[in-house]
Amino acid sequence: MIRKSLAALTLSLVTPLAAAQEPVRMCVFDVIGANGDVFNMVKDYALEMKSHGVDFELRPYTDEGVAVGDFSSGQCDAVAATDLRIRPFNRFTGSVSAVGAIPTYDDLRTLLATLAQPKAAPLMKQDGYEVLGIVPAGAGYLFVNDRSIDTAGELAGKRMATLDYQKDAIHMVNYVKATVVPSDITNFAGKFNNGSVDTAYAPAFAYEALELYKGIGDTGGIVDYPLAQLTIQIIARDEVLDDATAQQAREVAWGMYGQAMDLVSRLESAIPEDKWINIPANDVQGYQEMFRENRLQLRDGVNGAEQVYHPKMMSLLSKIRCASNPAASECTAGNRE
Amino acid sequence: MTSSLLNLTETIRGSRLSCAWLRGGVLAALTVLAGCSVNPIYSTTGIVLSNYSEGEATPYVLQMEDSHLACSLGEGVDPLLYSFSRVTDAPDSTGSLLMLLAANCSEQRAWEEELRYLRADYQGDVPAAKDAREAMKRLNAEIATRRYEAFLRAMRAYHYDPSLDNPACPDFSTEQDELTFLLGLLTGMQAIVNDANSGAMAGVPRNIAPQAERAAQCLDNQQWAGLPNAVRALVWLLIPDTQPAGAQDPWQVFADSARLGVDNGMRISMALEAVAAETFGRPDVLETVLARFADSERGFEVREDYRLVDSVAGEVVQFISDKHWTANYGYRTPQRYFGQLSEQSQQAPAEVMDLEGLL
Repeated sequence: MIRKSLAALTLSLVTPLAAAQEPVRMCVFDVIGANGDVFNMVKDYALEMKSHGVDFELRPYTDEGVAVGDFSSGQCDAVAATDLRIRPFNRFTGSVSAVGAIPTYDDLRTLLATLAQPKAAPLMKQDGYEVLGIVPAGAGYLFVNDRSIDTAGELAGKRMATLDYQKDAIHMVNYVKATVVPSDITNFAGKFNNGSVDTAYAPAFAYEALELYKGIGDTGGIVDYPLAQLTIQIIARDEVLDDATAQQAREVAWGMYGQAMDLVSRLESAIPEDKWINIPANDVQGYQEMFRENRLQLRDGVNGAEQVYHPKMMSLLSKIRCASNPAASECTAGNRE
Repeated sequence: MTSSLLNLTETIRGSRLSCAWLRGGVLAALTVLAGCSVNPIYSTTGIVLSNYSEGEATPYVLQMEDSHLACSLGEGVDPLLYSFSRVTDAPDSTGSLLMLLAANCSEQRAWEEELRYLRADYQGDVPAAKDAREAMKRLNAEIATRRYEAFLRAMRAYHYDPSLDNPACPDFSTEQDELTFLLGLLTGMQAIVNDANSGAMAGVPRNIAPQAERAAQCLDNQQWAGLPNAVRALVWLLIPDTQPAGAQDPWQVFADSARLGVDNGMRISMALEAVAAETFGRPDVLETVLARFADSERGFEVREDYRLVDSVAGEVVQFISDKHWTANYGYRTPQRYFGQLSEQSQQAPAEVMDLEGLL
């Protein structure tokens, strides 16, 4: 009897916090709320995590700022939001969406597989917070109302809807001498569609959902080069899960990569082929160099830029790009990221 | 005996011949009238069936209370009726309602799977929960496909092109036409939600939402129990950009529409308010909607011509309540607690007697 009680006591002492089945409250951002694509994906993640002893209690938020605010104020133990919003909690993973840093989904796949390894675990923690998973949400593209805007030079003087909390985008817009028109997720599409701005950037799935084809009209299009890779990241307070469970959580999220990309491709396929603006191969290199210069500035905090990007993430992304495209000029540049 | 049999045979043969002549004549006339591309009997039958469905069957079904019976009709009859679109004009208005009913059948199956998922999740049975969730996703794809088709048919029936910037409102001939169009819009909105719940398996275009917002303005809010404004409020919450400057707060619009629904004998706006509360994470609103719906049962007078619409609305609210109960307690809403989110008793404490001396 005593032996049994001792065994039970020992078990209860070594049982991780999460396995005690105390629900972990997670604020989940999805523009469509509890019936949205992201919320549904997080539901699958939560179900999978249940088999690892973690009971997530999900709360839908249609305002990302409020979701992150409620997480910061302790009303939720975890939050699922875009990497743009989670930068304050982890600058390293918050730099995944660095401008032009991941030009293909193959590179994104390599990155997320790399970050899901146990070896990457120390990089997932910062200032008492831990990343519990990253899933892709699709690339962001430039939407223009005039197809002649197909080079960076053409952007000079154009009005661009820019998320007011996205410091790297603001820097980039200023860099190309376009005009920042401060916007948020709820009103950038309206501004583009009613002609208040000439260009806007958004994930491809916004084309249909937000009727961006209206702003494109007969003369515009979508520049076929990923400006950034948007991801949904799950962040929790460090003490919510023990290290082993947190690693399992990241592996569960990585296991959902295929499911997430299926969703992204289905939503992207809504864009008609003739709306894409192809960039001539010769110009691509110029674009890449422009993005690289911006990333360096946003990494080092020079030329009026703030220090937004994490040097280690920039270095990792450069490594991935050069592995898939070794001939790129950046791979032999003296100031390689 | 034999001769009488022979006579009878002759008579039958004679009458067959005259029938064949008659049939031939009618066929020839119909062929001239209908053109030679299709069998004229088929196209005539299609026209007759379509007119009968619209004029008699639809009003009859809309008066029914049994939504399961109605949905079975949709699943059973739609392929037959709509197949006449091969030989004559597509029966889009009736076809829209039939497909809508067929989607409700899929939805009833999906609800059961969702409750199974929640029960298994509550019990910590992960494999069973995953299985139920997968089944639910597949059914949601089926619902989304059916609802999207119902939406398209409703738009076609009234020659309304929702993709235009400012499409002219349809000219409705009857009240039933207006309802068919309005339900088509609602069904389109639901198709987006079902598609998202399926993992975008059905590929429903997401721009239905702003299109429905514009089209809902073609209908009188008062006449249609607040539903046009409730549809608009839902879109405003989904895409805040679509809300006109100076418009009321969407939640206030829902509350007003729900009240109109009760007064007008069709509580579909209240069901939409419950869906919105659940979707947009407003448990406070959900709690009051459930309570208001349960309260409205007392003295409620249903609009008899559209009893089915109110009946389906009631099932939506019941399901939302069941989801809450199953997620939190592992079982559906006990009937006497419908309108509440827990078993916390609302009855006044009863007086008890002292048992001293009896024990």
